[in-house]
Amino acid sequence: MRTWRAMALSLLAICLVVEARAQGPISNLPRKETLIVENPEGTIKNAGWFNIWAINAGGQSTGLHQLGMDTFWYIDPQKGLDGVWDNSLAAEKPIYNADFTEMTVKLRKGIFWSDGVEFTADDVVYTIETHMKANGLRWSAPVQVNVAQVLSPDPQTVVFKLKKPNSRFHALFTVRWNAMWMMPKHVFEKAGDPLKFAFDPPVTLGPYTLNSYDPNGKWFIWQKRPDWQRTSVARFGEPGPKYVAYIDPGPPDKRVIAQLNHELDIIHDTSPEGMFTIAKQSQSSHGWFKGFPYAHPDPTLPAVVFNDELDVFKNRDVRWALALLIDIKAVSMASYRGAATISAIGVPPTGAGPENYHSPLESWLQSFELDTGKQKIRPYDPTIGKQIADMLRPSLKDQIPSDPATIAKSFGRGWWKPNPQAATELLERAGFSKKGDKWFLPDGKPFAIKLTVEGEGRPVMTRAGSMIAQQWRQFGIDATTTVAQGSMFDRRAAGDFEAMITWSVETWGGHPDLSFFLDSWHSQFVAAPGKPQPPRNWQRWSNPELDKLIEQIRQTAFDDPKGLELGREYVKLVVREMPTIPLMSYNVFTVMDDTYWTGYPNAETAPYTDPVPNWANTKYMMVRLKPR
Amino acid sequence: MKTYPTYILTRLGQFVLVVFIGINIAFIVTHSTPIDPVEQSIAAATQYGSTSPEAIALMRQSLKELYGLQGGLADQYFAFWRRILLGDFGPSLSAFPTPVSVLVGRALPWTAGLLLSSTLLTWVLGNLLGGLAGYYRQSRALRFAGILAMAFHPIPYYVVAFVLLIVFGYLWPILPLSGGYGMNMTRALSWGFIGSVALHSILPVLSLALVGLGGWFMGMRSLVSNIVTEDYVAYAELGGVKRSRILASYVMRNALVPQVTGLAMSLGAIFNGAIITEQVFGYPGVGTLLVSAVYAGDYSLVLGITTVSIVAVSLAVLLIDLCYPLIDPRVRAR
Repeated sequence: MRTWRAMALSLLAICLVVEARAQGPISNLPRKETLIVENPEGTIKNAGWFNIWAINAGGQSTGLHQLGMDTFWYIDPQKGLDGVWDNSLAAEKPIYNADFTEMTVKLRKGIFWSDGVEFTADDVVYTIETHMKANGLRWSAPVQVNVAQVLSPDPQTVVFKLKKPNSRFHALFTVRWNAMWMMPKHVFEKAGDPLKFAFDPPVTLGPYTLNSYDPNGKWFIWQKRPDWQRTSVARFGEPGPKYVAYIDPGPPDKRVIAQLNHELDIIHDTSPEGMFTIAKQSQSSHGWFKGFPYAHPDPTLPAVVFNDELDVFKNRDVRWALALLIDIKAVSMASYRGAATISAIGVPPTGAGPENYHSPLESWLQSFELDTGKQKIRPYDPTIGKQIADMLRPSLKDQIPSDPATIAKSFGRGWWKPNPQAATELLERAGFSKKGDKWFLPDGKPFAIKLTVEGEGRPVMTRAGSMIAQQWRQFGIDATTTVAQGSMFDRRAAGDFEAMITWSVETWGGHPDLSFFLDSWHSQFVAAPGKPQPPRNWQRWSNPELDKLIEQIRQTAFDDPKGLELGREYVKLVVREMPTIPLMSYNVFTVMDDTYWTGYPNAETAPYTDPVPNWANTKYMMVRLKPR
Repeated sequence: MKTYPTYILTRLGQFVLVVFIGINIAFIVTHSTPIDPVEQSIAAATQYGSTSPEAIALMRQSLKELYGLQGGLADQYFAFWRRILLGDFGPSLSAFPTPVSVLVGRALPWTAGLLLSSTLLTWVLGNLLGGLAGYYRQSRALRFAGILAMAFHPIPYYVVAFVLLIVFGYLWPILPLSGGYGMNMTRALSWGFIGSVALHSILPVLSLALVGLGGWFMGMRSLVSNIVTEDYVAYAELGGVKRSRILASYVMRNALVPQVTGLAMSLGAIFNGAIITEQVFGYPGVGTLLVSAVYAGDYSLVLGITTVSIVAVSLAVLLIDLCYPLIDPRVRAR
């Protein structure tokens, strides 16, 4: 007995000692001056590598591209601090000649690298010429494809002579998550091979510089530059946090625990269940929306992407029939537990999307008729977003908005009403037949679809895929899901799938121009079956009408209102043709804790930027954050 | 009867053969994966940003050249063996151009430290308690310890790990949730750093020990239970030899032989990493490195880690085989 008592006392003593020694996540940094952020890249294998121009060599969203890098322009996925377009290193917008074969950039004065050297046009010319000479850098290929010559007539002017007309060449230097960053000439010209230079410590143009990092890649700490006034973001004020730590907090459950312990100020993303737990247990944490659905809708549009090169999906009637068999309410519940923002059209329902596309096209969608051969139906149901909100209200009560505009913003507007009768008629017109309770192809073989999903790496989308496959199965189609795990990118590029839950639509978010993804949908880039498909037309869909629209957009200036009209024509075309079935925006459960910092962006009162912290655009968040 | 040198030569031959076959299997498996490192790199480079399809074609070509993936499978196979024989695994394809040996070298000490301490702790405690429980069968305390060890043993590891995390990371947050040491600490032979490493290793070591203890405990208890019925033990007891001496010198010593073999195998397996432990506790190590290499299709890194692991396990078995005849004359006599 005495032994047991001694053992119990020893254990208690050890616990007390450990408790006394227990420390916060930071050893010697003042917590009140430090913002702690999740880096979704996780543990960085090659932590001491800061040469962001080398592909896949080190981390990017370790704070490196958010706080250390800079380039000409940023487009905000939301409203922006001073409008969606920001001239960052550039003093003004890009200046093109009449036929878009030349782009001139005027640079800001008084911008300095963190080692005190002034940033000038020489750095830009060096960056471009290095990419022209070296193969294998991150932006070598787009530079080599586009740039014939780069000149700097004076230290604040750069002129790009292009190999062929390109009205969107500036997109290469316009941040939407990232863009081509500027290299410090005075550092790299002494470094030898730019592919083999680690750039440790990095010399930065952004308002922070590297303080320290874990050689095993678990954390990176950035410190505000004493000369932050000599950086482009200083126009908006002083960045709040003195230190910013980007860490790998581990799986979603641990991120939730870390935030509940106030050891993680910003969770990049967690599961819907994790978000609901935090909402219930923490008074100080919140998402993009004050209440349900909390998550930030990224300008990305998950969809059922068909491999349109396969015979079975070449017929528009088949694609539409499959769309009419989906009950989006059930998909929303299965995937995001209702916290989804749905979209019937091929534009994400976020940022400038609703204002420029969803809202103006609402009446067109409501009057859109689909001819099944036996009847004309109006498939669009404008009340689906409201129906989802109504479905959730009994359990979530006040958290669910009742104002129609807020519901539309949070849950989306309408979607296609399930219509198995119309789907039957469309399939029959396409030559399919039903025997017993099973559907068969025109050649008599069973109608089977393998729907590829990513698996545990993207559980929300995997659950959406499982629900859709189940709905198709209930109709008599032999639909199953295939889990691709790490081979998702390879299969998608190689066209090694029948249908897939993924996205081929990503937009700027804050700007209505659709060329960011749409240019790559031109049939000139569609690969032959079996050959790798370049991003982003994963559906491998070719359409002459679409080609004409894309060619017109190419000849239209970025801010020309005609571009928006052409964008709306694209939306109508893809509604009629249904090359993919758009589902919802990619909602990211970014959760922010007010315990140490306030001023985070939010949908209701401060939509000044996207809070998702791996976006380079979040550098603007730093100037709004204030210590509590 | 073979001589000891012949025995050594035979075992060495077996070692070389096992390593050769193991590495070849690893090569075939890694090169059969549908994941292409070039496509992974392209996806990483283009996932969020603006991309021009023409530029992607050019990028694909450049990366193939850069990664040295242009030759056929046979070329890659011979190049791989040339590098292995020179002790070089080449550059990692998912952290290009950093050599695989640098990445493995950075992660290995953490895994080795974690698994060495948890394996030794578990082995010593499990065998000691199991030996005592087998010998002093009437002790209530030891029977209770046995029930505890057996209760933890069948629980899935990740359940134990998560329960520990929730208890000591959230309900009573006295231990760190993640990492190998405190953020922003300088790595040095200082008490502060050593203390931080120790603190961060408590939960991972405890989780491994709780689940692993039962196996050693039960093995040792059943071995001891058999040995105590042997004539020589009964004779020693009748001869008035002290019970503690009988336990230590007659019973445990004999029972330890198979347990030492098990220990050697476990120590060899240290180089495999503890994937779930490292993932759950965010511990830096080879397991995390291996998982990320598999997802990235980084053959070089996967092969580097598996080769180290194959050699380590085979070497551990070889060493124990070589030591056996010295410990146990019956093996020498075969």
